[in-house]
Amino acid sequence: CHFPSVKIAAGAVVCVESEIRGDVTIGPRTVVHPKARIIAEAGPIVIGEGNLIEEQALIINGYPENITPESEVEPKTMTIGMNNVFEVGCVSQALKIGDNNVIESKADVGRNVILTSGCIIGAFCQVNTCEVIPENTVIYGSGCMRRVQTERPQPQTLQLDFLMKILPNYHHLKKTVKASHNAS
Amino acid sequence: MASLLQPDRVVYLVRGEKKIRAPLSQLYFCRYCSELRSLECVSHEVDSHYCPSCLENMPSAEAKLKKNRCANCFDCPCCMHTLSTRATNIPAPLPDDPTKTAMKKAYYLACGFCRWTSRDVGMADKSVASGGWQEPENPHTQRINKLIEYYQQLAHREKQDRDRKKMARRRQCMPLAFSEKYGLGTRLQRQRPGAPISSLSGLSLKEGEEQKDITIEPAPALDEVEPLPEDCYSRPISLPEVTTLRQRLLQPDFQPAGASQLHPRHKHLLMKRSLRCRKCEHNLSKPEFNPTSIKFKIQLVAVSYIPEVRIMSIPNLRNMKESQVLLTLTNPVENITHVTLAPCEDDDPDDINSTAKVVVPGKQLVLAGKDAAAEYDELAEPQDFQDDPDVVAFRKSNKIGFFIKVIPQKEEDADVTVSFKIRHDFRNLAAPVRPSEEGGAAAAPAPAESIWLTHHVELRLGPLAP
Repeated sequence: CHFPSVKIAAGAVVCVESEIRGDVTIGPRTVVHPKARIIAEAGPIVIGEGNLIEEQALIINGYPENITPESEVEPKTMTIGMNNVFEVGCVSQALKIGDNNVIESKADVGRNVILTSGCIIGAFCQVNTCEVIPENTVIYGSGCMRRVQTERPQPQTLQLDFLMKILPNYHHLKKTVKASHNAS
Repeated sequence: MASLLQPDRVVYLVRGEKKIRAPLSQLYFCRYCSELRSLECVSHEVDSHYCPSCLENMPSAEAKLKKNRCANCFDCPCCMHTLSTRATNIPAPLPDDPTKTAMKKAYYLACGFCRWTSRDVGMADKSVASGGWQEPENPHTQRINKLIEYYQQLAHREKQDRDRKKMARRRQCMPLAFSEKYGLGTRLQRQRPGAPISSLSGLSLKEGEEQKDITIEPAPALDEVEPLPEDCYSRPISLPEVTTLRQRLLQPDFQPAGASQLHPRHKHLLMKRSLRCRKCEHNLSKPEFNPTSIKFKIQLVAVSYIPEVRIMSIPNLRNMKESQVLLTLTNPVENITHVTLAPCEDDDPDDINSTAKVVVPGKQLVLAGKDAAAEYDELAEPQDFQDDPDVVAFRKSNKIGFFIKVIPQKEEDADVTVSFKIRHDFRNLAAPVRPSEEGGAAAAPAPAESIWLTHHVELRLGPLAP
């Protein structure tokens, strides 16, 4: 039987205090802070490289409206690309997230939203429409105003390097598992 | 319930030129006239200008020259937040040796809220951190300056004519500089509709200078207007490219329609103002000069002189049924205050909003003084005030809770309003010291007199219970 497990690639820094449930794959150079929650209920989650998932962020592949369907539904995979930043306290249920996106603190992204690349969802903005957000869009303000910026946000390489050096000094890390191996 | 403490639940009436009802926290108290004053019955004067982000003080003359804008700080044209300067390292050829490249710092402006950057409108990165950013020139500046000069001269001439007429009428000659110095501050010079523009005359040329006659050409009227572009109706609109009205009107010089032409503008200065009572010309509020300080040199706010009524709890209000409402009275001064409440008379002209009858306690309520050290003084005996338990619910340092009976009169009332008069004694410490009759060298200070003040208070108690 297939036992869903967490596959953490080498080079990723995942703190032990984070909660990861279900079938989750985490790519190299990704940092998962303590108290972050990645929950794969209704399907697996695949997280790419170079992502930064901060404290109390919640990435959840859950059933819509939190209702578990009686009959078996096809599990949908949630894919998250590279160099994304999930800031403190955000909630992301978007099934497809591209590269270089930033979801700022306490933002709420719904299940039917598809983020392409370079999108910035501002702090406390709730986006639960059913649409594809075009590239380089910034959603900001209490009225969720939008504008398009000319360049994508820079990948947080400096921050990632710093965290990958410092976090292991203060936290235990979850064991990395090579995703390509079939055994343990 | 926190909503009972909302400031607009309890309003005090200010009897000035206009009858204004405002919560006590927004009112001032002139202790020379012994009356409440609101923002509308005081005169506002500008004290100083400062920039809200760099907190730099600016003298008024310099502020006027720079059109009331800060020299260092910029506003995001997109979301009006303050822009911050960010630096990047770009490889640039060394000036000595063109073949080698070294990392040089380039600065650009960025907004932390909406992520706008100066590169979005095509502004090149500057090599200095501050002072390199220029606002775009207005193409009409020359024409506007010429018009302003012409009208300044006209205003100056009109003012001279007026002053000459005044001087001819009066026996004593008022020097010409007098009317210029006291600009719009005093009531003599306040703008009356229809009067010639005197505000510009303050900026006019000095007395001794030769005044050359400036003539302006009238604006030419054009026969042909620029036609609209061909694809005006057929081109699809790209909404992110179009500026909002607010963004457009914040730059009245250009009013760009496209977001790629929104240039940042210098930040507006804010000002500190001082308030002055119109009757006795004493200062009611004078802030400190330093922009970083929030204290006041003179702060005659009403909450530090007048006892404040607050609503503590409201039971279910029913039409035509008597209910008891619990109110609190707080004494802001350090001496004991005696308060009497009285209902409004039937034909009271101030009583226009009340929709319920009120029965207030008839006895005089005594409030203890505000003692800042009371909580630390354990040995102090609590003062015994012999409170009537039907009237006074509780007593705590300088606050008492008391009951009033409310009988709503209107059916289907969305907001039951009651009003009553509150009469308290006020010890006026600002009373001028009366010199003793004997003409002694050291005049003994007269004991501060107590006067009785009456205020009209209105309370909004909320809707009737369903």
